[in-house]
Amino acid sequence: MDRRHFLGVSSVASLGVLAGCASPPVNISKANVVVVGGGYGGATAAKYVRMFSNNTAQVTLIEPNTEFISCPMSNLVVGGHTTIANISTPYDNLTKRHGIKVVKDMVASIDAKQKTIRLASGGSMKYDKLILSPGTGLMTETIKGLDKANQEGVTVQAWKAGPETVLLRKQLESIKDGGVYAISIPIAPYRCPPGPYERACQVAGYFKQFKPKSKVLILDANDDVVSKGGLFKKAWASMYAGMIEYRPKHNVVEVDSKTKTLKFDVQNDVKADVLNVLPLMRAGDIAVRTGIANSNARWVNVNYINFESTAAKDIHVLGDSIQIAPLMPKSGHMANSHAKVAAAAIVAELGGFEVNQNPVLTNTCYSFVSADEVVHVASVHQYDAKDKTFKTVPGSGGLSAEASKLEGVYAWGWARNIWADSLG
Amino acid sequence: MHFTSVHQLKVMGLSIGTVGLLSFSGLAVAQTSPANSNQMSLAATCANCHGTNGVGVPNAGMPQINHLSPDAMLTQLKAFKSGARTGTIMHQLAKGYSDEQLQTIANVLGKK
Repeated sequence: MDRRHFLGVSSVASLGVLAGCASPPVNISKANVVVVGGGYGGATAAKYVRMFSNNTAQVTLIEPNTEFISCPMSNLVVGGHTTIANISTPYDNLTKRHGIKVVKDMVASIDAKQKTIRLASGGSMKYDKLILSPGTGLMTETIKGLDKANQEGVTVQAWKAGPETVLLRKQLESIKDGGVYAISIPIAPYRCPPGPYERACQVAGYFKQFKPKSKVLILDANDDVVSKGGLFKKAWASMYAGMIEYRPKHNVVEVDSKTKTLKFDVQNDVKADVLNVLPLMRAGDIAVRTGIANSNARWVNVNYINFESTAAKDIHVLGDSIQIAPLMPKSGHMANSHAKVAAAAIVAELGGFEVNQNPVLTNTCYSFVSADEVVHVASVHQYDAKDKTFKTVPGSGGLSAEASKLEGVYAWGWARNIWADSLG
Repeated sequence: MHFTSVHQLKVMGLSIGTVGLLSFSGLAVAQTSPANSNQMSLAATCANCHGTNGVGVPNAGMPQINHLSPDAMLTQLKAFKSGARTGTIMHQLAKGYSDEQLQTIANVLGKK
């Protein structure tokens, strides 16, 4: 991330925010909806704006990759149980089935006043509604030596599924039996709360079968396991006894790439053969550069009724980049849920209808504690008009009773259905 | 019950804008009217696991729901909500919806 682009709140005031001042309705068939980022949030939003507008709104999706690679299920690539190809989905169907124009590019800058974006390849595009779903940015600068260690291949994040996921797998394959894999976890919130703990299970599963003297070290900046704690701890004790060590309150401040050593606030240094260092996270770069990351200069505050940025009119932000409501995880399922609420609201606004005042979000998240045994967490979030936020419904949601192969089947079913729901 | 006509929607106390009437051809098709799009977006909360418009990927491993009539779907949803039917996750999710919301979901996604 380029710090020059790190704009303060004061600059946000210039972006033309007129909260509560509705635009006059435009002819929806002439409306240009531009979506930036083709992940769980953006791809879903593009598809559902088309569906909810009876295929009348013009929708353009800007995405640099030719295929969507799912972060959920990607820890199974690390564990050796599936491949990147098995968790990839092309963007073709968004065009063929839904008439969405997919542009392989990135957005260089956004002019919120002129409602124009400039593309990295040159050229610009006007929008009536802009949907940003840029995922997360990794704050590598917050850990001394991390950028250098990344460049030298000493550390890896693999927190966006793709080549780094494969690199991490190769690093695990290359270490000797008796080696150490360390994963460090930043203070929450970060993308995919249970992801690091699932990854620890997957690495331990690989070690158990092929390198039984090897160890997994979880170095967590948080006070305790952030998600599914009881279920993960049970799996570690019963399935990977003596292989996984969990150390809470371990906040990485520095990496020494020469000696493959992590340094902490207080605790003793840790050496490891594979260093999977996850730094603090924030909104995706384009959101930060545009100056709309107005929550601690890290996340984008949105109006939860339509996911419009509080800093820029007609820019709607989805998924990991937003400042979350209470108990709202940064997950793919949640981004897909955001997208549908935003799509319905955007179509209503463009058509001059009242926006739905009772939107609902759900989240389900499956984690593989072995090749085929899975645990879940689920929640339902109803909009609270009084407090203008989403709240989980008392008595709803919850965790698996225990890890099971049945939920392993459902986890793959979830994946195939949400990929089709987002991109099919 | 399920929506088969504009009349039934009106009986349900739902308002339909002019645009919705002009383009209304059953709730399997998305509508640009507030009543219909609110219902569609509520039902879309099921699509992440059970497929867009309740049509899941065949043989994907997730239970299919699109063969159920609206009545049968509502019965199952209410059984999950009350705890009469157990499950791995559906009993937890069903408790997050009001009875009216479950009815709307069953009406939108149930087999017509």
